[in-house]
Amino acid sequence: MALFEVLFKRTSTFALTVAVGAFVFERSFDALTTTIFDRINEGKQWKDIKKNYEQ
Amino acid sequence: MISAAAKSGNLAPYLKNTSQAVVSTLKTTTKPVTVATDKIVVPTVPQNKTEFTLNSTLCRGKTSVRYGVSAPFQVRSAHTDVKIPDFSDYRKSSTLDPSKKAETSEASRKTFAYALAASGFVLGTYSAKNVVSTFVTSMAASADVLAMASIEVNLGDIPEGKSVTFKWRGKPLFIRHRNAAEIAKERAVDPASLRDPQHDSERVQQPQWLIVIGVCTHLGCVPIANAGEFGGYYCPCHGSHYDAAGRIRKGPAPLNLEIPPYEFKENNMLLVG
Repeated sequence: MALFEVLFKRTSTFALTVAVGAFVFERSFDALTTTIFDRINEGKQWKDIKKNYEQ
Repeated sequence: MISAAAKSGNLAPYLKNTSQAVVSTLKTTTKPVTVATDKIVVPTVPQNKTEFTLNSTLCRGKTSVRYGVSAPFQVRSAHTDVKIPDFSDYRKSSTLDPSKKAETSEASRKTFAYALAASGFVLGTYSAKNVVSTFVTSMAASADVLAMASIEVNLGDIPEGKSVTFKWRGKPLFIRHRNAAEIAKERAVDPASLRDPQHDSERVQQPQWLIVIGVCTHLGCVPIANAGEFGGYYCPCHGSHYDAAGRIRKGPAPLNLEIPPYEFKENNMLLVG
């Protein structure tokens, strides 16, 4: 499999894979959990009710 | 059988150690037989010390192999009835062929383990980063502090040539609307002649607006605006003279007046902090 040869076989590429993977994972995981939190708390957060108090 | 536990001089003639052997009543039914065993003859290993003995042990001339009934041979039982067990069912499909090199099947054997390790490292990196950023951001100012830490000033309220004082983070803030004559005068000053060399362009973002913190760099008094020999600020405590760019020109203060971070917004608004 090309995945092993390209990404995992060398330690340098393995470390790079981990670093890039951590970045991608962080962005996607945070976005996902924020979306879920916003959906559960819809209408309760300041950004949802801010328009009611602005002139 | 009698045995003495202690030795006594007076009783010595009457006491003595005796021992008696009693013959066993058991009788053997057969006479003991000596079994003759073959003596194992081990050929003596010649010690190759001389040229002759060395020569005698070397393979010289034609080497021949002797075989036949009389020749010494080893009995090796050929267990043809024992089957070599087949472990194919337990093997990975990539390693079924024993003639194949291990490195050719490396990818299919190791990809899963390596991917698992990599995902573990990714999760670990993410967790470690979150822990570190949690502790680091706990040291930062909170949102309510940050909201109080900046002020907005409408610059349209400040006429030309006037210096206005505001309170910002517990300190006086001087905002000075400079006129063209002042700008020209401060721009012309040679920085090399100053105690704290700074050109006027380093002190202001827009030439007509000077924003400085009104704390004398000597001992922290609040200078008086539009006073002193240089037309800028004058500290009454020990007589430091600042010019219209807030630079120290005369007196004991070592540094120019501090400039806070600020930016100009639309609608002639100024945001300090």
